[in-house]
Amino acid sequence: MTATVLVRPTDGGTGPTLRVRSGPRLLADLDDGPGLDRHRDRVGALRTPRLARLLRSLDALGIRGRGGAGFPFATKLRTAAGARGRPTVVVNFSEGEPASFKDAALAATRPHLVLDGASLTAGALGAREVHLVLPGERPAVRRSIRTALAERRGEDRRLRWRLHTADPRFVAGQARAVVELLSGRPNLPVTGWQPEAVCGYRGRPTLLSNAETFAQVAAAVALGEDGYARLGTDDEPGSLLLTVGGDGSRPEVLEAAHGTAWSAVLPAGLLDRPVLLGGYHGTWAAPGALTGLTVSRPGLAEAGLALGAGVVLPLADGACPLTRTAGIAGYLAGQSAQRCGPCLNGLPALAAAVRSTALGRPATGRVTQLADLVERRGACAHPDGTVRLVRSLLAAYPDEVAAHADGCCTFGAALPGEEVAS
Amino acid sequence: MSSRLRVDWPACRRRGFCSELLPEVVELDEWGYPLVTGEVPESLTRLAREAVRTCPTLALRLTDLPAAAPPPGRHTKRFL
Repeated sequence: MTATVLVRPTDGGTGPTLRVRSGPRLLADLDDGPGLDRHRDRVGALRTPRLARLLRSLDALGIRGRGGAGFPFATKLRTAAGARGRPTVVVNFSEGEPASFKDAALAATRPHLVLDGASLTAGALGAREVHLVLPGERPAVRRSIRTALAERRGEDRRLRWRLHTADPRFVAGQARAVVELLSGRPNLPVTGWQPEAVCGYRGRPTLLSNAETFAQVAAAVALGEDGYARLGTDDEPGSLLLTVGGDGSRPEVLEAAHGTAWSAVLPAGLLDRPVLLGGYHGTWAAPGALTGLTVSRPGLAEAGLALGAGVVLPLADGACPLTRTAGIAGYLAGQSAQRCGPCLNGLPALAAAVRSTALGRPATGRVTQLADLVERRGACAHPDGTVRLVRSLLAAYPDEVAAHADGCCTFGAALPGEEVAS
Repeated sequence: MSSRLRVDWPACRRRGFCSELLPEVVELDEWGYPLVTGEVPESLTRLAREAVRTCPTLALRLTDLPAAAPPPGRHTKRFL
């Protein structure tokens, strides 16, 4: 019997209720609640390792950032430690990807694991401030964190916690946009000439990572290298958090050990449907493509798939991935900060070309041309993520594109009619 | 040593001076924004510096290739 906890991250009964399923490590013993006393019973007192020791563990365990890009955390930490100036630590809870709820789940159920990870990383680095960036559209996250911080008086000596609220928009969680928010400027991406770990907040080395990353770091320190590696595979020790939420279903956050078969993660019926992995900046898996694959970054990469921040979106029965991509591309075009020319002009054009293709007027040549034109030409990765989604659709569903050109949809959906020009 | 032109995208207002100065390396896309087509060879460095200097919105930078990676093993903290 799996214990689950229900969480409502948004206010006013409008947003979805989130189901958090008990897991093997981070999400173990959810019945204990989020309090500090039970947390200390489970993981022990907070220990701050020396920097060299922490780096050795992180290198050995290969822990990567969990915000989407999957950058090795030890490399970031080493860079921040070697750069000029007193470093700052930033914990990013603002899940810009609207279908991602794992960090909201951590805030509700395991806030002290995240805060332990941030505290010990700051201690090892010699940082005196930890900035917590919270999602504006999910006020429950802020309440959970404030409650947890109030419990921690005396736990993190010589450390100051500072709270910030990110704007409710897709690009607000991008690293440079977060540094802008901390600096009191608009919460939008700007050009970063150097990595944040070298020159970020106030020109200082800034170690910025996703909330789950810090929870994993805390688990690695609490369990030791051998203990941490007991879960997962030799190549990828440990676990990761996933948000599984199809169209129209209640999102569910769960923890899977690396190497778990997808058939054990998703109910069988869902594996036979198109699955969008990694969220709106993610990649499409064709029906059945995940059968035989495991939860593994390199394993998925070999199949041309990417997990991003761990979002798994199986389509509803009868929903068409081409039509859905057209809708998402339109949403993403609207989420542009509209400050970089290629994104401002290119994303609406790209979305229009995908919509035209979905409506049976194929424009795949134009889609490919625009994808090349917007990629890597912006201050942030928003155009790159949009291009990844669109390209993966063309790669996974060429037959669907051809079917729509012939006026039918193999998923049984009626082609959307001509839209009235707005 | 060859170098690379990088664009500060939020700053760029598609004035096109860069493409006029350096058509070998900078084309304009269908909206008029610079499309950097390759590295800047040493023979064009002087012109590239001029493009950086004369960009009306100061949206260009010339960076060395390859991107300088932090040397390994510098773990010691250095406080200001």
